[in-house]
Amino acid sequence: MNIPDGLLAKIDEAISHYPVSKRSASLPLLHLWQEHFGFISDEGITWIAEKLGLQPVNILELVTFYPMFRRIPAGRRHIRVCRTLSCAMAGSYELKERIAAAAGIDLLAKAPEAHGGHHGDQEHDSSHHVENVGHGNPITVSPDGAYSVEFVECLASCGSAPVAMVDDLFRENVKLEDAPRLLELQRSDATMPRVLAPHPREKRLVFKNIDRDGWTNDIDCYLRDGGYEDLKKAFGMAPEAIVEEVKKSGLRGRGGAGFPCGVKWGFIKRGGPKPTYLICNADESEPGTFKDRYIIHQDPHQLLEGMIISCFAVGASLAYIYIRGEFPEGAQILEKALAEARSKGFLGKNIVGSGFDLEIYVHRGAGAYICGEETGLIESLEGKRAYPRIKPPYFPAVLGLYQCPTIVNNVETLCDVKHIIAMTGEGFAKLGKPNNTGTRILCVSGDVQRPGYYEVEVGSLTMGELIYDVCGGLKEGRTLKAVIPGGSSAKVLKAGETYKLKDREVKLEDLVMDFDTLAAAGSMAGSGGVIVMDDTRDMVATLNNLNEFYAHESCGQCTPCREGALWMKKITDRVLAGGGTESDPDILKNVADNIAGKTICAFGEACAWPTQSFVLKFREEFTGKSQKLVPPPMPPEYNSDELIANDRIEPVSAPRDTGREVMAPAATK
Amino acid sequence: MSTETAAPVQMVNVQIDGVWHQFPKGTRVIEACSQAQKFIPRYCYHPKLSSPGNCRMCLVEMGMPKMTPDRKPVIGADGKPEIGWIPRPQISCAQDVAEGMGIRTDSPMVQDCRKGVMEFLLINHPLDCPICDQAGECRLQEFSVEYGQAHSRFLEPKVKKPKNVELGPRVTLDAERCILCTRCIRFMNEVAKDDVIGILDRGSFSTIACHPGRILDNNYSLNTVDICPVGALTNTDFRFKMRVWFLKETKTIDINCGTGSNIVVGSRENTIYRITPRENNEVNGVWLPDSHRLNFKWVNDPKRLQQPLVKSQPVDWRTATAIAAEILKSKTSSEVWLVASGRATNEELFLTTRLIDALEIQKQHDIIPRQGEADGLLIAADRNPNTTGAKLLGVSAKDPGSRLKRLVEGVRSGAIKVVVTLGEDLTKAGLNETDLAKLEAIIALDVLPNRTTPYATVLLPGSAWIEKRGSMINLKGRLQRLNRGAAAPGEARDDWEILRDLIHGISGSNGLYMIEDLFKAMAADVPEFGGLSLSKIGDLGLPVIKEKPAAEPAEAVI
Repeated sequence: MNIPDGLLAKIDEAISHYPVSKRSASLPLLHLWQEHFGFISDEGITWIAEKLGLQPVNILELVTFYPMFRRIPAGRRHIRVCRTLSCAMAGSYELKERIAAAAGIDLLAKAPEAHGGHHGDQEHDSSHHVENVGHGNPITVSPDGAYSVEFVECLASCGSAPVAMVDDLFRENVKLEDAPRLLELQRSDATMPRVLAPHPREKRLVFKNIDRDGWTNDIDCYLRDGGYEDLKKAFGMAPEAIVEEVKKSGLRGRGGAGFPCGVKWGFIKRGGPKPTYLICNADESEPGTFKDRYIIHQDPHQLLEGMIISCFAVGASLAYIYIRGEFPEGAQILEKALAEARSKGFLGKNIVGSGFDLEIYVHRGAGAYICGEETGLIESLEGKRAYPRIKPPYFPAVLGLYQCPTIVNNVETLCDVKHIIAMTGEGFAKLGKPNNTGTRILCVSGDVQRPGYYEVEVGSLTMGELIYDVCGGLKEGRTLKAVIPGGSSAKVLKAGETYKLKDREVKLEDLVMDFDTLAAAGSMAGSGGVIVMDDTRDMVATLNNLNEFYAHESCGQCTPCREGALWMKKITDRVLAGGGTESDPDILKNVADNIAGKTICAFGEACAWPTQSFVLKFREEFTGKSQKLVPPPMPPEYNSDELIANDRIEPVSAPRDTGREVMAPAATK
Repeated sequence: MSTETAAPVQMVNVQIDGVWHQFPKGTRVIEACSQAQKFIPRYCYHPKLSSPGNCRMCLVEMGMPKMTPDRKPVIGADGKPEIGWIPRPQISCAQDVAEGMGIRTDSPMVQDCRKGVMEFLLINHPLDCPICDQAGECRLQEFSVEYGQAHSRFLEPKVKKPKNVELGPRVTLDAERCILCTRCIRFMNEVAKDDVIGILDRGSFSTIACHPGRILDNNYSLNTVDICPVGALTNTDFRFKMRVWFLKETKTIDINCGTGSNIVVGSRENTIYRITPRENNEVNGVWLPDSHRLNFKWVNDPKRLQQPLVKSQPVDWRTATAIAAEILKSKTSSEVWLVASGRATNEELFLTTRLIDALEIQKQHDIIPRQGEADGLLIAADRNPNTTGAKLLGVSAKDPGSRLKRLVEGVRSGAIKVVVTLGEDLTKAGLNETDLAKLEAIIALDVLPNRTTPYATVLLPGSAWIEKRGSMINLKGRLQRLNRGAAAPGEARDDWEILRDLIHGISGSNGLYMIEDLFKAMAADVPEFGGLSLSKIGDLGLPVIKEKPAAEPAEAVI
């Protein structure tokens, strides 16, 4: 295998980022390989395995788990269109069709007779699918090999739906009629910042610099604005005192579960024989959530400052930023920011004379939602399939990365730490409400006039105020139907419902947007992604879109989620296609019940809650489409060709080679 | 295992289905429940492997004692600590018991969980039990009976996966039957240390596979078939040969090396179909090398010796024994040599010592050593299964095989005129066919033709190990028992009976009619067997030699 020197140097550099385990470099090496060669050949798999001292199957497992990796080439220009709910509501299905039409791609082209690893005879005489078994979403390539198009799951820019990625370039608010232009997109055409003045109801803390006039993401700009001063302040404090401040601040994790950050940090035992690691979870992929992307792109040094303070507080001298693979530009920006911070002495040995050493590296994912789950993330960072770990015993604070104490925090949470140092824990706790302190970035998408991100004090506004005041209300002539309040996993809330809270009963519009109120209403604040649906939306189709997401993203490790997520999708597929039977709504709900609470990780709940809540709250829509007395006939399980292919069983009279010649020599009589 | 100096084991109180039990600290919940006669169904859990907790079949309700604010357990009306139940079901395979823990193995919540998991496991399963080799010993079938439901609610097309995949030369995969419990992957990684199986794709499409360039050809690959709880991995050799419920299962031991792995032989009507490992944590754990388990085809070889022969003429047993005795009696002691086998049972070796005594040929006997390479797992360098017994009983030289050069010299000088071989090919003792032709007589007992048998004056057809009862001592000094799973073909007889008759023909001494009596006689003579009988050895054997015989490198025990 002839590897160019440049690539080899990059590979060795990537391996050096993982001093504890070379295996962790698996994903970075696969990215480098695919960037250079366009796809990952079997030869590449073997080469990488050998380089890292692994078995080839260890690498093959990764290539087939992470959908961003391809085993055969895509088109020279590869376009990824976001398929998930907010983009689908904004027309991404039609967008994909229009892109395909413009590129001469036949989306209905039959996949070639291929199994996972087949490649070679690329004749390009017709559109063809790149077989991506298990990933669900095939890549379709134009006959001339110039273009290819692929549906991908949530690209975390739901507020500017529909969105697409053209190679590594990101394009928001794509108008359907502009589809052909994507084919010729230049780097300068890529959109990212959307200049929008903060709404008066906002309290910009973490998002202070987002869309700010004259703001750039380089370190000089950050330093001019008083950047890294809080770090210096933190170095004047004892690490335990910082943990104490964070406890006092009442900061709850911004990733989705809302676990108190200071308590999490308190689980770390200091002075043990093992090192402590900190990981920034920048795998933002909960549909409806799009906040971390903006911090990374526009204010990376805020994140780094928060991270360095946090590492100092928990005693970590090695940290990683696990950024989702679909943020290639974000990864580059972070790399640049890290280099800047290193050159200014904010990283490395003896940071600003404090005696504290720290290295931070960027680690890219490759398209797996499950990496947002902290133990799945850790497995992924260790170079494995992102299978979440069982808890007990594998609590990250005790047995995390490389079985060492590990803290995993969300991007926004780590940014908040910087502000807690600046304003003290007590000062931070004054924002928001008791037990719901600080600010929250609400990401609103779907059927509102002004979707986008809005940073507000937690609990400072109600759902109604958010939708009607801040986001400008619904579109002309529409009425509110439903809201998913905290990312797609959160249970849907139905317009017209009332919720019994501790002291009173309130309507949906009067629900206060904080952790506790939304939990009391039977849903959750989650990651802050608010998806609004108006009366034009079909709830069966909406659920089907989410079910497809979860079926695609289930890691497949444990039984209920692996089997149940796809089953729920298949039921809603059939109901949508007109084949629903009377028992389908009940079965759908019961399948979800059998998943939630019975799985290794919270993905079980995440995939079950939408189904449970949609069927419960919009039952009439489900029963309306489930009227058949008997289900439609199923296609035969195997066609005759397949039956013949499967029937390779040799008769007993011709015993197969037992392969004894390859066995260890043993006594024979 | 002896625990003479063991520290007292700390016991913890655990409530299982309302009844309080005590278990040693460190007991897995799932094992504790089994000990309390509350079996918990499981797929991915295997006591010899790590616990991934992925099948979710072993979910139970679990609770810990309720605590007052000053960390004292709350005592209920019955005087026992009150249990605060965890609202979500918990897996029982990955946690150890703890003081005051409560477990419910059969509550409505637990029943619901099992029903749900069973349904999920079966929706994409092909349900091809009639043609599946695992049928009859399949956990999906077993747990379906107990926890499944009679009808399917699944109206969708099933996920298609590869079938008939040769994962390696000896293991066939049907990925559609696989429930992704990862036992095979963990076995290859953790025990065989050959991480060649992995999972490809994800979600419902996940499939176990090998990289095409690195297949499952490890000598322990068939253990993955043993531990596969369903019909996904099947033994290519055994596949479609016999329904498992027709197999007679005989507990015996492996004779391919000095480890003496415990096995179960599956046979029907005297034909052996497969050999699987049998759990013995003092010997082989639950594993067995492929090379050992597949080495049984010779038992049913049509060329098996079935008829006593004298100068190639068929004779009856009485004639054959009488002629052999006459030949031996006609020679002086110095003209006779005896080659015994390290594959013989203790009982046979004991009778061999009687024969040696009757012939007065002390020091004119030895066994043929078989040396291979130890594999660091279960295959010992000594490929004779009973070298220890042969040494203990004095049939072998202290250094096995060291006297054989005297045999060769004696034959070549003409001093030795008759050789008795009990189950060995003399060409492996250093003699060549010219030497054999030169001998006045060869008395050979064996099961298959070899380079010696054509030269045998008297050929006595004996029994294969699976056709015998008796005992052997492995390299660690453990006395273990062989059991009969099949009858010897034709006129072939049990080796010890042949030896008994031969001794009778020479010396007239008699009195042994049953193998039990033979063992008793041996136990009276050999202090190591004192007080024992064949039945007292039990299925798992007993340590009879304390110090490990030297010269054998330590074998890894799994």
